[in-house]
Order: sequence, then structure tokens, then C-alpha cells
Amino acid sequence: MRDAIRVLNLTKRFRFAAVPKRATVKDLVIRTIRLERGLSVVDALNDVSFSIEPGSMLGVIGRNGSGKTTLMRILAGILRPDVGEVRVEGAITPLLALGAGFHPDLTGRENARIQLLSLGLSRTHVNAFMDDVISFSEIGEFADAPLHTYSSGMMMRLAFSVAVCIDPDVLLVDEVLSVGDEAFATKCLTFIAGFRERGKTVVLVTHDLEELAKWCDVAMWLDEGTVAAFGDPQAVITAYRAGRAG
Amino acid sequence: MASELFNASGGAMLNKSYKYRWLIAELVLRDLRLRYRKSVLGFAWTLLNPLLFMTIYTLVFSVYLRIAIPHYALFLLCGLIPYNWLSTALSLGATAVVDGRMYVGKTLFPIEALLIVPVLSTGLNFALSLPMLFALAYAMHVHLGLALIALLPVIAIEWLIIQALVILFATFNVFYRDVQQIVVYFVTILLYISPILYTREMVPRRFGFLITWNPLAPLVTSYQDILYRGLWPDQHALIFAAIFGIVLFGVAYRVFVHYAESFTQYL
Repeated sequence: MRDAIRVLNLTKRFRFAAVPKRATVKDLVIRTIRLERGLSVVDALNDVSFSIEPGSMLGVIGRNGSGKTTLMRILAGILRPDVGEVRVEGAITPLLALGAGFHPDLTGRENARIQLLSLGLSRTHVNAFMDDVISFSEIGEFADAPLHTYSSGMMMRLAFSVAVCIDPDVLLVDEVLSVGDEAFATKCLTFIAGFRERGKTVVLVTHDLEELAKWCDVAMWLDEGTVAAFGDPQAVITAYRAGRAG
Repeated sequence: MASELFNASGGAMLNKSYKYRWLIAELVLRDLRLRYRKSVLGFAWTLLNPLLFMTIYTLVFSVYLRIAIPHYALFLLCGLIPYNWLSTALSLGATAVVDGRMYVGKTLFPIEALLIVPVLSTGLNFALSLPMLFALAYAMHVHLGLALIALLPVIAIEWLIIQALVILFATFNVFYRDVQQIVVYFVTILLYISPILYTREMVPRRFGFLITWNPLAPLVTSYQDILYRGLWPDQHALIFAAIFGIVLFGVAYRVFVHYAESFTQYL
């Protein structure tokens, strides 16, 4: 069987300007006179390789700044790798940050429409999906209220509903599930279980090791941009706990 | 070389525009709806703006300063209406990426759409105010013949130049918010150094370079030729503007692609 996700020798570097973000003209002039290139390079991901089969659910753990989010952005196709190869089979929908892609002044319905259209869907398709999105999200009459009136839980519900309604082949979820109430989180995870039975693939970034052990069938520990452990969730969790302690 | 540069960037932009045509259409309509929401005069503002400036400029330049251009009001409108497209598109477009920061870096939303939308929505306004210009030209007995066809390439070249400028300004505005301030001065200066309030023949020879090297000048002159003088526009000047537009667009799109990945760090 073809791998759902295949990553080979992936390296991603970020170049940060050494000048502060709010540079004044004086800073710039001084920088130019001194001929400072002023770029510090950080390897967010360094030689990462792994692959997972269709129907599996990969849980990614690691400290803050270990490259989890960068990996998700590269899998989603938002960032390009500097070195290496990334192959994802089928349609991907990313669910990477709470409120990402939502305009605070537009209503939930309008935001959902724009998100669906921004996946390249036609107006007819989007119209057909809208009722399902709103009913799955259980936000009720808030669908027509501006997004800045939403709680973080409601935002997550809407975002999750948009992401799954188009039935992607690969779903990327970065922590956002943790903000919902337990009932909706369970609804999401139950949905994901059914989703996987149909041969679809999920990548989940989480800090909740229990959740990881319960739902994922493969796990990865990212440490400073490299794969510290990969494979059976229990083994990865044990290694992670030991590594973190030591 | 210019065509190579354009093929790569123009092709990429066209592909995106086509793939996300439904998104772009939705955003353009929303833009127009939002602009006229809760406003009594609504779309009439698009026509009132150039008419207001036409009146005030006519008073100052034609009555007070006695500039010798017949049918000065119509002459002004032929330049002001296309200029308005440029100035509204640039002031909206410069903040397009910054205003759309919720779409950048965390979703698959195409940033190109943010850059295309302000140019199209203001362009739609421009297109809707053209009939008024036709009606006035007709009322003033301007000979409107086959030369009207020449409006299409003129509009296309103007669109290309505006789109290129919006891409550049919106990209640099992410890193230095000064750009959105500079745009205000940029469009004001452009109004006065382009032959909108005066004809190009009135410009003293030693300032001729301001007209020769200003790509807006041949466009404005072409609108005037077609809708005020009833003539075919000067092809050579238009070809210069077209080449300028193509090169600028190619450069702008490359600059955008180069910097787009680092947008998230600055938004």
C-alpha cells in the first residue's frame, strides 16, 4: 500500500532578522553602514524522515519550539521545505491554530463560506456543505453572530466542522481540540475514529499524553527539530518521559 | 526578456486566480457590499467623488487661473476617473496583507487573492463610472467612433500596473508599516505630475522627463484622446506603458514570492 504521508530528509531553516521587529530609521541606517546582514539562522527541522500508512493516526509530541508546528505547516503545504521531500496523498485540510482563517467581524457562516472557498471549492459546492457545517458545529443561532462574540470552544467547533465537512484524505490537527468542552472533544475524536476506518489519515499535535496513548496508533517525539523517537505510542511516551526527566 | 519574466509570474498569478475564482468573486462582492452598507447614497459616491473634484478643479484652474483648455470639465474627468481607480486601489491594496493577517501562514488561503481583490473591486467601480463619462462625452459632441475599442487595451495596461504596484506596496507594508503612509503621498504626487489637470504640451521642455518617464502619462493621455479629443491613442506611448507594466508586474510578483514565507513573523 502507498504511504499516506512520506517525509524524507526534511530540513527547514528560518532566517531571523537580528534587528528588532520595530526597527527605527536610525537602526536601519546603522545596520546598513555597518554592512550587517544581520540574519541568524535557526534549523526548525533537521533531517526529519518518517512515513505513515493510510488509516493511521500519528500523534506528535515535543517541547514548545521543537518544530511541531513547522512540521504541520510543511505537511499542509503552507511552507516549503528547504531540503528534502514531502509527499502527502490526497486532499489535506489543516486545523492549525484557533481562529486561523477567521475574520473577527464576519459571522460564523460567512467565515465558514470563505474558508471553504479558500480550499478551492466552487460556490455550488460550498452552498451544499453549509447546512452540514453549521449543524455539526452545534453553534446554533451563533452562526449568524460575528466571530468576535464567540468563545474559543465555539470557534474550535466551527473550525473542526469546516475542516471535516469536505471529507479530506488527511486531517492535520494542531492542539486546537483541547479548547473544546469534553462532549465536543469526544464527538471530534469519535468522528476521527470513523474517519480512519474509511482509510483516512490524521496527524495530531498534542501535549496530552493520555489522549495520545488512547487514540493514536503511532507516535513521534520531536526534539529540537529532530525525531527523538518514532513508533508505538507507549514506547514513545516512555522515551519522552525519560528524556524530559533526564 | 520582459516576456519571459512575465510568463513565469503572470502564469502563476493567472493559475491562482482561476483556481480560486469563486473565493475572489465572493471577496470582491463582499468588499463592494461593505463599502456601501449603511450609506444612503451608496454607489453614487463613486460618481460623486470625481464630480466633486471636477467642480473644484474647474473653479480653480479654469475660472481663477484661466487655463486655456476647452471643455475643461470633461477633460478633467477623462483623467480623474482612471486616476481614482489607481488611487483607491493603492490605498486599499497597501494594507491588504496586513488587514488579512488572519488568513496568512496558518491556512491554505491563497495570499494572492488578498492582493487581487482590492484591484478588482475598485476596478468594478471604475467600470461602472465609465457610462457617465461616455454620456458626458456624447453630450459634448465628442466623436466617439471605433477608437472606443482602444479603451480595452488601455484599461488592461492600467490594471496590470495597478496590480503590480499593489503587490509591491502590500508586500513591503508587512515589514514597514510606513509604506501605507508613503502611498498617500505617492498617489497625491502622481496626480499632480501626470497630465490630468493640464495637457502634456503645457509642460516646459526641461520638465518633460516627468511626462516621458511617467507610465501613468500615456494612459491618461490615451483616455483623453479617446473620450475627449475623439482620436485613436498614440500607440508608441501605449507600448511603452505596456512594457513598463509587464516588467513591473514580473518584478513585483517575484518580490512577493520571495518574501511571502516570512510574512507570518511580521504580522
